[in-house]
Amino acid sequence: MTVAAGIGYALIALGPSLSLFVAVISKKPFLILTVLSSTLLWLISLIVLSGIWRAFLPLKSTTWWPFALLIISSVGFQEGLRVLFWKVYKRLEDTLDAFADRVGKPRLFLTDKMQIALAGGLGHGVAHAVFFCLSLLTPAFGPATFYVDRCPQMPFFLISAIIALAFVTIHTFSMVIAFNGYAEGNTTDQYFVPVVHLVAGMVVKSASA
Amino acid sequence: MAQNQRPASILDTLGEEIVRIITPVSICMLMVVILVSILSLDDSSSSSAMPTIATIAYSETGSDSSWDKFMGALLNSLVFVAVVTAVTFILVLLFYLRCTNFLKIYLGFSAFVVLAFMGGEIALFLFEKFSFPIDCVTFLVILYNFAVVGVLAVFISKMAILVTQAYLVVIGMLVAYWFTLLPEWTTWVLLVAMALYDLAAVLLPVGPLRLLVELAISRDEDIPALVYEARPVAHHDSGSRDGVVRRRVWSERRNVLHDSGGDVNSNAILSGNAGSNLNSGVVLSVASGHNDTRLAGAEEGRVVEANAELSAPLIDRRMNDNMHRQEEDGTSENLLLEGIGLGSTGAIKLGLGDFIFYSVLVGRAAMYDFMTVYACYLAIVAGLGVTLMLLAFYQKALPALPVSIMLGVLFYLLTRLLLEVFVVQCSMNLVMF
Repeated sequence: MTVAAGIGYALIALGPSLSLFVAVISKKPFLILTVLSSTLLWLISLIVLSGIWRAFLPLKSTTWWPFALLIISSVGFQEGLRVLFWKVYKRLEDTLDAFADRVGKPRLFLTDKMQIALAGGLGHGVAHAVFFCLSLLTPAFGPATFYVDRCPQMPFFLISAIIALAFVTIHTFSMVIAFNGYAEGNTTDQYFVPVVHLVAGMVVKSASA
Repeated sequence: MAQNQRPASILDTLGEEIVRIITPVSICMLMVVILVSILSLDDSSSSSAMPTIATIAYSETGSDSSWDKFMGALLNSLVFVAVVTAVTFILVLLFYLRCTNFLKIYLGFSAFVVLAFMGGEIALFLFEKFSFPIDCVTFLVILYNFAVVGVLAVFISKMAILVTQAYLVVIGMLVAYWFTLLPEWTTWVLLVAMALYDLAAVLLPVGPLRLLVELAISRDEDIPALVYEARPVAHHDSGSRDGVVRRRVWSERRNVLHDSGGDVNSNAILSGNAGSNLNSGVVLSVASGHNDTRLAGAEEGRVVEANAELSAPLIDRRMNDNMHRQEEDGTSENLLLEGIGLGSTGAIKLGLGDFIFYSVLVGRAAMYDFMTVYACYLAIVAGLGVTLMLLAFYQKALPALPVSIMLGVLFYLLTRLLLEVFVVQCSMNLVMF
C-alpha cells in the first residue's frame, strides 16, 4: 500500500520489541548474543516443522481439523524446545558462575537471570514476527493491498501485523515465566506457558474460520 | 537508586568483542541487501553482458537446462579459484622477497579503484533510479575526495578508527554488490568453491595462506592487507574509555612489552575454557592484499578483483609477546605495526574477504525473497560465532569462511524449498503459533 504503510505494518509488529531491545538488551552484549541464538533456534524448529509438514501441504481450507493438528504439533514441538532451552541454560548458568568466580566478579543476580530469559523470549518473538509477518510484507510496499476472505474488513497485512505483535508479547514473556517456573519448581507457571501458547494459536485459527 | 551501588556483574561485558565484530558484518550485509533490493530491477538484463573473470568460461543464459547451468557454473568457479590460487602464490613470493612497499602501494591503489570506480558506478545507478539532480563536476569532486580519504584511511593508522572502520565496511559493500551481479548458479557454486579453497589454503601444509601466515609470524611482521579491526575492549580498571588516551596506552604498553596476563576480561569468549591462552590476544588476521586483474574485454577498464587473498585465516598472536624487539625500518612500517599493535592486546580483526563473501551470500538471497535473507543472516552469524569459538579452542590459524558459507547455503536451500511454502500457507489461513 506504499512504503509508508509497509513500514507502518513492520513497526506495528516489531515496535515494542525494538524498544525493548534498545532499552534493555543493547547495553549488554551477552544478551544480544542470546537473542541471536534463540532466534536461530526458533528458526531451526520452524524448518524442522516445515520439513515434516511439507508433504501434507497445501491443506484444504474447508475442514478445520488439519489445521488443529498442525497447531497442536507445532506448539508441542516448540514447548519441548523450550524445555531443551532451559536445560542448556542451566549448564550455561553454571559455566557463567564458575567464570565469574575465577574472574572475581559477583555471581549472576536474579535480575541477570531474568534478563537472559527475557532475551531468549525476545529472540523467539522476533523470529516469529520476522517469519510470519515481515517476510510477507514485501508486496505491501507496492501500491495495492490484499484482503483475506475470512476477514475482509482489514487488509491482510494489518491482521498479520497485529497478531504478530500479540505473539511477540506472548513469546517474550512466557520465556521469563517458564524459566521462573522451572527454577522454582512452580508447576502452575510451568503449565501456564504451553497452555497459553496453545490457546492463543487455536483461538486465532478458530476466530478466522 | 540502589542499583548503582551493585558491582557490575559479568553479564555487562561478556561477549563484547564478538558483538563488536558482528555489528559491522551485519551493517555490511544490511547495506548490500538494501542496495540489491533497490537496484535489482535494473540490472537483470545487463548482468549477463558483463565479461568478468568469474564468467570467463561460461556465461549463463536463461534458457539452458539446470545441468548445463550447473556444469557451467562449476567451470567458472574452477577458473576463478585457480586464478586466485595463482595470485596468492605470487603474493607469498613477493612477501618472501620482502617487497612490502610494493604490496602496500598496490593495496592503496586497489582501495582507490574500488572506491572511485565501483563506488562511482553504483552512485550513478542510484542517481538514475531516483532521478537525483547532480552535475558532473560536483559529482567528480565529491567522488574524488571520498576515494582519497578512503585510501588514507586504509593506509594511515593514525586516522580516527571509526573512519577507518566505516571505509572498510564501504569497500566490502561495494565489492560484494558487484559480485552479486554475477549469474545465479555461478554465484552459489563460487561461494562454495571459495569456502573450500579457504579451508584448503589455510589448513593444508602447502596452502598459500598458511605459508603467508607462517612467514609473517616467523618474521614477526605484518602482512599489508585490508583488515577490519574491532575496537579493543578496555575494562574500567585498566584504562579510560577515551579512544585517544587508550591508543597511547596501548602503544606505550607495546613498547614496554607483554604483560598480557592482566588483560583478563577482554578475551573472555564464552567457551568456558577461559584459560591463560585467551589472554594472549587472539586475532583474526588476514592474508595479503588484492590482486587486480584487468580484463581486456571490459568496456571502461572496469576491474573485477580476485579478492580471495582477503579470506581470513585466524591467527593466534601469542608470538607477538616478543614484539618489543623493534626492527621497524621506515616510518610507514612503523605506522603499520603500531596500528596492528592494537590487535595484540585483544581486539579481534576480520579480513575484508569474509565481509565480502558473507554479504554476497546474503545479497544473492535477497534477490529471491526476504525470508531467505533472514535465514541466511542468522546462519552466517551462527557460523561466525562457531568459528570464533573454534579459534578460542584451537589457538591457531583458522579459515573464517567455510562454516558460515556452508551453513548459509544450507539454510538458503532449506528455506527456499521447505520453509517458504509452509509459512505462506500458514499465514494465508491465519494459522499462527
